[in-house]
Amino acid sequence: MTQTPNSEAPLMQVEDLAVTFYTPRGAFRAVRQASLEIARGEVLGLVGESGCGKSTVAFAMMGYLPGTAQVEGAVRFEGMDITAMSDAELRQMRGNHMAMVYQDPVTSLNPSMRVGRQVEEALVYHLDMTADQARDRAVDLFESVGLADPGRIGRRYPHQLSGGMQQRVVIAMALACEPHLLIMDEPTTGLDVTTEATILDLIVELKDRVNAGILFVSHNLGVISRVADRVAVMYAGEVVEQAAVRDLFKGSRHPYTAGLLSCVPQPPGDDGVEHQLSSIPGAVFDAQVEQSESCLFAPRCPLAQDDCASVSPPMLDAGDDHAVKCLHHENVKPGIWGDLLERQQKPDQDGGVPVLNAKGLRKFYGGGRKKWILFGPSVRQPVRALVDVDMRVGSGRTLGIVGESGSGKSTAARAIVGLIPRNGGSLELHGESLDSHVHERTEEQRSAMRMVFQNPTASLNPKLPIRHAIVRALRKFAGLSHAESNERAEELLESVGLDPSFLDRQPSELSGGQQQRVALASAFAANPDLVVADEAVSALDVSVQAQVLNLLENHQRETGNAYVFITHDLGVVRYVSDDILVLYAGHVAEYGPSPDVLSAPSHPYTEALLSAAPIPDPDAEPTHIRLEGSVPTLRAAFEGCFFAGRCPRKLGDICDHTPPPQQTGLNGDGHVINCHIPVEELEAIQR
Amino acid sequence: MARFLIVRISLIMVTLLAVSIAIFSLIELLPGDAAALMLGQQSTPDSLRNLQEQMGLDRPPHIRYLEWIGGALRGDLGVSAKSPDISISSVIGERLRNSALLAVSAFVIAVPLGLAMGVWVGSRADTKIDRFLSMGGLVTISLPEFVTGVVMILVLSTMLGWLPSSSIMMPGESIIGNPQVLIMPILTVTGALFAYIFRMARANVIEVMESNYVRTAVLKGLPMRTVMVRHVMPNALLPTITVIANNVGWLFGGLIIIENLFAYPGMGGELINSIKTQDIPMLQSTAMVIAAVYAFSNLAADLTYGLLNPRVRLS
Repeated sequence: MTQTPNSEAPLMQVEDLAVTFYTPRGAFRAVRQASLEIARGEVLGLVGESGCGKSTVAFAMMGYLPGTAQVEGAVRFEGMDITAMSDAELRQMRGNHMAMVYQDPVTSLNPSMRVGRQVEEALVYHLDMTADQARDRAVDLFESVGLADPGRIGRRYPHQLSGGMQQRVVIAMALACEPHLLIMDEPTTGLDVTTEATILDLIVELKDRVNAGILFVSHNLGVISRVADRVAVMYAGEVVEQAAVRDLFKGSRHPYTAGLLSCVPQPPGDDGVEHQLSSIPGAVFDAQVEQSESCLFAPRCPLAQDDCASVSPPMLDAGDDHAVKCLHHENVKPGIWGDLLERQQKPDQDGGVPVLNAKGLRKFYGGGRKKWILFGPSVRQPVRALVDVDMRVGSGRTLGIVGESGSGKSTAARAIVGLIPRNGGSLELHGESLDSHVHERTEEQRSAMRMVFQNPTASLNPKLPIRHAIVRALRKFAGLSHAESNERAEELLESVGLDPSFLDRQPSELSGGQQQRVALASAFAANPDLVVADEAVSALDVSVQAQVLNLLENHQRETGNAYVFITHDLGVVRYVSDDILVLYAGHVAEYGPSPDVLSAPSHPYTEALLSAAPIPDPDAEPTHIRLEGSVPTLRAAFEGCFFAGRCPRKLGDICDHTPPPQQTGLNGDGHVINCHIPVEELEAIQR
Repeated sequence: MARFLIVRISLIMVTLLAVSIAIFSLIELLPGDAAALMLGQQSTPDSLRNLQEQMGLDRPPHIRYLEWIGGALRGDLGVSAKSPDISISSVIGERLRNSALLAVSAFVIAVPLGLAMGVWVGSRADTKIDRFLSMGGLVTISLPEFVTGVVMILVLSTMLGWLPSSSIMMPGESIIGNPQVLIMPILTVTGALFAYIFRMARANVIEVMESNYVRTAVLKGLPMRTVMVRHVMPNALLPTITVIANNVGWLFGGLIIIENLFAYPGMGGELINSIKTQDIPMLQSTAMVIAAVYAFSNLAADLTYGLLNPRVRLS
């Protein structure tokens, strides 16, 4: 029977939704109990850590779940039950009345079809437009999502567009038939923070312009606080708290939400006091275990009492349209995740020889002849990945390196550890010169410098137990005997907060956070002086990220290790770094002590990065400096400033034709800003 | 584009030059030469020297090599060692035509059929019909051509007597005049090729069906048929076609066996024949022509891929 929409009914109503996936390895309860409502013109943020079921809820709204899924409960769109619709009825809804924007736009667009056609086909199919009408409408849509040159962008293929432009195309596609409900599943995850900011601006603007309800799914609290009107928090397949965005961020009533918020590195408050990160111990409730009569969060909860283990809490009213699934929600207040510890100040840097000292570090990739020309002169310019970069890290200190993708961060890390040989400049470890290639360095030099990578799953041998990775490092670098190294391996695992029994597990049995801690343990095994961490916490959920950051900090305090910490997350870099190096297209934009770099005056690029970073505070004032486009690939040496092409504060001709002078910041020598604008002026415009 | 072609063709020339040197040197390493082979048991040192002088075999190898290559460039590959009346060029010309007839017919039948079936079955992955046909494809691929060919001869010729078991032509007859001799060789080549293309297409369709952009297309509300035609097929068939084109050489390997099995007068048959009769000039030139066909079909494969793939076409 065909269902008809009911204009009285809520736009989207999810009631006691439960989704179970039956797989050969058992039943996975992706969603256990979720109830939500989205009204027209409202943005509901859905937040939670990986595996909590938020994407499954999103796809359930589109009626798009695999055949192995068993769906219970109701999903009603304008009063019609999505779960009971036939394929033909679903087709009438999808892309027409409800549309979706996905994570990772590059894989969501058909690579062999012009983007214009991908937008037009929905118009032709759902609205019976002629090809010409559809083309005109697509141009309007491209314009409305802020794509430059909307008249011609439709002729391009996805690979000819940058990530941000691709996501705008996907948004235009979703808006094509003026849907009533828009579902956005992690739409900015994986984009550069600068691009993320421009896409979030667009979404905030759309919210006022289109009269659609929006479900905005994200793991990032900062992003949620920027766009959402109301927020639902999910944990282990359950919606545990729902409230208006301000109520949730300022007065969360569920211990889990409070915990999540305290895991995110925040800028120091007005009093200048910085607090240590809290972390949530334990692991997420196993999705394979059937629901028991208990609160699923109780095993990790600091407020858990006897009744939490025997009663599954219902959704309780906590006033002001604030619902929470916790029996003891009155007890939730700041500080339940351990007292807010003021962070210990690090000792001032001794004036001695730095652990790592790099001068004029340079790396050019490729160049030379084109592949298919055997003879003749060099015709291809090399990619200038790193151009004359200086940096130094003292013992017990952390240097943070930030920049967008393509800025040369990872190249710098790899050149330091010698994974890629540098083309120029000098590198010293404790004042001793280092060869450019890791194979040419001495055993002591290699063991003094260890690297931790972004993806722990890929850095551990999947066929060998954890013990292997750690014991190997101990025997090779610390020179321990077999028995000694096994003993030491247990201590190391304990020091990274893992039970020694983990030694005999396979990497696949560990979660991402546990794997990353194993990677850290094996880096620490060599007793290094310097640890280079390349996006080491980027793939981790915030609660795990906080654990790893605290672990790193404690380890540094105990051993006096120096860290080079590479990340795109400014919140994290602010939290961990003593000094910050801001890279753009392989050039140093700004370099200096962390507080100096992060406050005015700073390089316009640093300013833009800071302005783009989402802050998990709904009261944070929206910032206005935005960078379009992406970091260029520089092949030729150029005369002007490396940042001139995208600089929001560009002065004019001088920026195009004269390299920027190296200016000293207001606090003295240690702070370098490479910009034409005098520092006093920078300070004046940035305050 | 023009520059790409020029570069690629000159690279092919370099490759063929290297191949020609390799072929020539390998044959040079063998004991005996064309003259000794022609004389056979009747050879005496005197008659051998005479014939060597007559054939120019007493000259140093690099001169003979240059003469062979120079002739080849003018289209003159010399004469067969079996008889000075047989011009290698004309024999190869005819054999190449016959082989091409066989290969092209097999292609024309197997490619569209294999692709269509691959798409149809790929969109029904893990159904009974899918499992049945994939298994059938696997069996067909696993059976070597000389088995399927022999079975076919056994059934269609020996038992039923419908078709001639061999393609031997009387002098003056041509393949075109006797199309019935083509049927079994074509069927044999098609069988293996079809199963291969079908499995490739199926695997690629299944992979693309799981991609994010197909999900996007489905969630746009498009009917399944549109999703298949516009979003799945172009992306799934592109790699399939490339792999097929790149396997033209593999097809040639199969042809050599099949042509021998059916005594079919093609390049493969000639290659084996010249080895059996130790006709060195013929062997040299046949191997060279096969190498050239292989090199140019790879170029054709790359061009097809470039034409179909916007990422390559537009960069």
